[in-house]
Formats: sequence, C-alpha cells, structure tokens
Amino acid sequence: MGSRHVAETIDQTAYQERLDRIGEIFGAMMSTVAELSTRRCPYKNRFDQCTASFGCRNQRMAMDASQLKACGGDDQLDYRSAWDTG
Amino acid sequence: MPELTEIANDFIRQEIDEFVERPDERERLIGLFAGAKPALQEIAAALVDGDDDTVDRLTTNALAAGTAALEVMDDGLIAGMAIVGVKFRENFIFVPEVLACARAMKAGMGHIEPILSDSGIEPMGKVVMGTVKGDLHDIGKNLCIMMLRGSGFEVIDLGVDTSPDDFLDAVEEYKPSVVGMSALLTTTMPNMGKTIDAFIDADLRDAVKIMVGGAPVTQEFADDMGADGYGKDAMACVSLAKELIGVETRG
Repeated sequence: MGSRHVAETIDQTAYQERLDRIGEIFGAMMSTVAELSTRRCPYKNRFDQCTASFGCRNQRMAMDASQLKACGGDDQLDYRSAWDTG
Repeated sequence: MPELTEIANDFIRQEIDEFVERPDERERLIGLFAGAKPALQEIAAALVDGDDDTVDRLTTNALAAGTAALEVMDDGLIAGMAIVGVKFRENFIFVPEVLACARAMKAGMGHIEPILSDSGIEPMGKVVMGTVKGDLHDIGKNLCIMMLRGSGFEVIDLGVDTSPDDFLDAVEEYKPSVVGMSALLTTTMPNMGKTIDAFIDADLRDAVKIMVGGAPVTQEFADDMGADGYGKDAMACVSLAKELIGVETRG
C-alpha cells in the first residue's frame, strides 16, 4: 500500500504469535459485547449519540444538524423494539 | 520496575493513568510502552483515538524509517489495542468506539500485509461480507469482520443493503473462499435465501462456501435455505470460516 520497506522477512510462527495475542484481546472484547448488549444499544457511542444508519424511536435531533443524533433510550427496555424495521 | 513517567507519549501516559486500574495490567502496559520507540507510541495513541488516517500515515513512516514490521505490530498496533480492550471492558468506551479503533488497526495492518506477502505469509482466507438487501443493521457484521481480520483473514466488506447482484459481482471480482451474509430482521432474512438462489442461477454456488448469521437466524433456517454454515456470534463466525476452508481450530 505504498509503504517503502527494505527486504524484511517475517517468520510465520512469530506472526502467528501476534495473531494469537490479537485473538486474546478481541476474544475478551466479544465477551464484553455479549454482556453489554443485554443492557445497552450497540449503536450508542460513549457520548450517548446514535451511530445507526437507520431510524430508531430513541433518536433525538442534535442541536447541530451536522452532528450525530442523541440517543434518548434509557437502556431499561429492549432497545431493539425501538429500531425501524420497515 | 518502569514508571509511568518513563512513557514519552503524553496521551498514552494519560490513558494508562486514567483508565487502567488493575495493577497487573498497569504494570504490563507501563513496561511495554516505556520500552517502546516514541514513534510507535504515537501509532498506539492514534489507534486508541480511533484515528485511522493518522495510524495509516505513522505506520508508513515507521516502516520507511526501518522499524521492523513485528515491532510496529507489538509496540504500536497491538499495544494500542490492549488499552482499547481495557477501556471497553471497564465501559469507558462502547462498541462504536471499538469499531473505530479496529478500523485504525486495519489501516496500520494494510502496510504490514505486503511485507507478510513478501515473506510468503498469505491471509488465512478471503471472505466477502455483507448485510443483505433491505437491511441497514451492521454492528453484528462489523464485529464479525473485526474478528475475522484479527484472525488473519482478508475481508471485503460490502456494507449494508447488499443485493444478490452485489454479492455475485464481489465473488467474481475477489474470488473469496467464503461469503458471509448477515440479517437482523425477520423481514430481510429471506433475502439470504434469495441470494443463495442467485448464486445457484449464476452457476457460482459451488465456487464459495456461504455462512449466515444475525439475531433471528437459526441453524435450522440456515439449513433450509442451503447455507453451508451458521454462526451465532462473531466468535462462532471465525470458527465457522476456518472450518469452511478446512483450517483446524484449537480448543
């Protein structure tokens, strides 16, 4: 992708060790995803904004139209029931 | 034992100080970053910030300066992702931020991949992924893609609302081993079957393995529509993709 690199050789085993480490980090993240998804919409970011590209009844207009909509969900009910499914 | 003050990068120092509370993790990350080149700490900082453009640029620079690819991975990309993992586990950030960091990691890995290829290390397999026609829900698909890439797969992401023709075109263009389809809605789930039918009509069904997933999808539905496999979540998606291409999984 345009990077200039000298003739470097990567050992397959050494690379696999890196993939294993990434797998450990990502695997732990997926456990968090599973737990988190029971109580918080996965499209809701840390600023409580909605990142979904579809409609949802919990979306609230942002003051600045260029910003993401705010999420008005209280995380008490099943958030999926608010998503547009049409 | 290295001290936090030995980490050159302000952002990384602050991130560890503010978000990493467990003593063992703190010690490990401080030790890792204290010994890392400042240029690689910068890559990690940009990754934690979810800034893919900066990761792209800094990775290019680091490799051009002669830093070994595995060192860039260790002290830049993986080290940064380790902080992201802690922040996510402790609910300081959420899924959208994690996906932004994963995109940043992909930007960096894009520069490592040619070196891997030159070393004779090819991707584990090639997967085309998309959410089916009429469906705009992409979180599940995006998490699967993150896991697949993290496992060494090359993934072509077709995005959401993907028509059968788009899937067919991608298979002809990229020649993947596996096609993954996602649907969240019961109303769009039948489009998985329609896409599989389109593969049969185009005489391409035997060219790829097809896996499906999404909240309403079941093994029974996958079997009925003629998919090769069903994955209930992102972890299962990786195991399934490996199985479909004949790679043994551990555990």
